Amino acid sequence: MIQAVLADDEVLARQKLRQLLREIPEIEVVGEGATAAETIDLVRATKPDLLFLDVRMPDMDGFDVIGHLATADGVNMPSVIFTTAYDRYALRAFDIHAIDYLLKPFTLERFRAATHRALQHIKNLRQNPQAAAAAKDGNGSPYTSRIVFKSKGRILFLPVSEICWIGAEENYVRICTQSETHLLRETMAHLEEKLDPNTFLRVHRSSIVNLQYVKEVRPESDGDYGVVLRNGQKIPMSRSYRARIRNWMER
Amino acid sequence: MHPLIFIGGATTLGFLFALQEWIDSRFWNYHVNLSLLLSAWGVQYFLWGLICWVLWINFRQQINDASLRTVLLVGIPLSIGVCVLEEIIWVILFPRLPMGHPPMSFWPRLLFHLDAEFVDSMVIVWSAFFLFRGLGYYQRYREKELAASQLESQLVQAQMRALRMQLNPHFLFNTMNSISSLMRIDVSAADLMLEQLSRLLRITLQRGDSQFIPLSNEMEFIEMYLAMQDRRYAGRVEQQMRIDPHLHDALVPNMILQPIVENAYRHGLCRVSSGGHLDIEASRQGSRLRLAVTNSGHGLAVVHNGGSPNGVGLDNVRNRLRMHYGVEQSFSISEVEDRAVQVVLTLPLLFGSRPTDNETRYGVS
Repeated sequence: MIQAVLADDEVLARQKLRQLLREIPEIEVVGEGATAAETIDLVRATKPDLLFLDVRMPDMDGFDVIGHLATADGVNMPSVIFTTAYDRYALRAFDIHAIDYLLKPFTLERFRAATHRALQHIKNLRQNPQAAAAAKDGNGSPYTSRIVFKSKGRILFLPVSEICWIGAEENYVRICTQSETHLLRETMAHLEEKLDPNTFLRVHRSSIVNLQYVKEVRPESDGDYGVVLRNGQKIPMSRSYRARIRNWMER
Repeated sequence: MHPLIFIGGATTLGFLFALQEWIDSRFWNYHVNLSLLLSAWGVQYFLWGLICWVLWINFRQQINDASLRTVLLVGIPLSIGVCVLEEIIWVILFPRLPMGHPPMSFWPRLLFHLDAEFVDSMVIVWSAFFLFRGLGYYQRYREKELAASQLESQLVQAQMRALRMQLNPHFLFNTMNSISSLMRIDVSAADLMLEQLSRLLRITLQRGDSQFIPLSNEMEFIEMYLAMQDRRYAGRVEQQMRIDPHLHDALVPNMILQPIVENAYRHGLCRVSSGGHLDIEASRQGSRLRLAVTNSGHGLAVVHNGGSPNGVGLDNVRNRLRMHYGVEQSFSISEVEDRAVQVVLTLPLLFGSRPTDNETRYGVS
């Protein structure tokens, strides 16, 4: 069972969180804080795994809460999911390794995704505390495991494992997940550098695929090959990159 | 400016010079005919006033636009010519001058007067030139300032209108009503709609004050708006967007497409019960950017009968295009086949000198 604390100065906001958490049986709410000070005391007392944290609260803001908790001895920092009406704190939240950043109002679906991520993270943490701590410090893998960006009025902390494929559109890249596409101002080269080459493979000057979503590599009628994703989408592959995918398949 | 200002002003100046010379010569005990002095000086400056007026009326533009090369190669010879011509006319009019000299024939007289007055004449011509040029600069500066403030207010208006459009009863309350009705049957759908409404308002509030934004930003709003409308119209309208990827960074005036897309829904698509379509296309035409929004509906007649409400949003678009690009833009609204309405804008294709800041960040967790 995973224990969670809710921190929000508005009672209806806490009520909504409680209601949504009813859908997620693995999480038990052990306390609610209406102010930052209350929240800090509560976290020290209950040592939860997960903290739902509002940014703007009457006495201090959510980041002050994190700051206080980080300097306190004997308290394991809980995993944090921010819930706020403001999008301007997203990068800060990302930098302090928040699990997710929920813009109010959010849907159950969005909430589920965030808690799912948190559960995953907490499980990893329990199984392998050292590795998880190392990953947090960034000395683990040199590759990014998630990206933060704004898209269509939302903030996304997107785990790269959810990316199916990436297409180049001039100075932009289009990141395609199973359900959505996002246009980012970024270059393929830069993105390729950030992504783990064991999972992401450049198959064309203008596309990178996530190998986890690849169903097959199929010869086309014109002698070229194409990559077919599990959702049936076909992505052309150029000759110069074919050797790379062959190497990968032979492994 | 009225010719009287030039001619009256210059002639008055001439009379004053005449008076000065008359007083001067009285001081030295010379006796000069005052009326001759007055007419000689008066006519001379009348001619200058006339010349300046002609310059102002016919050559203001050239004076303002002239490059240094043109000034040197055309302006100087021309100014010499004008000075000589003025002197020739004057010499013809006053054969008795100069006084106190034995009578001379035309050419020696002309040379005599040119020798005495050529430098003064050149000073007058070039003073006029620089005065006009300075006035031109000032005028342009004022015009630019005026245009900038107008553009600013138009953008503010567009933003206000965008907000009002989203807060207007038709959109906001109908959306809320949809949410309210969904709440009873499908809570997560209600939640989703509420979230979408918030995202839309968020984008609108965050657009900022810059006059130009990359097309990709403009399209972000449009996509969100379309997603929202798609829910409300539940499959009645098929939406299609074709954006040339080279154009994501092309600069467009902030909120230029949105009133058009909103209009497409307000006047066309909201009357379609099924099989409606909306096409948004951004393409490149040489050095121009072409944006086209086509929607099915009931043609333009409906829009025109609708009267002013349609006008305001599109007028704002039209005005802002004109103020930003002058004659370098076009705006047209027309009925295409099958009573569909098409709005087409073209504007110069420009790209930001510095791409917008990258807001993507990477991390491990």
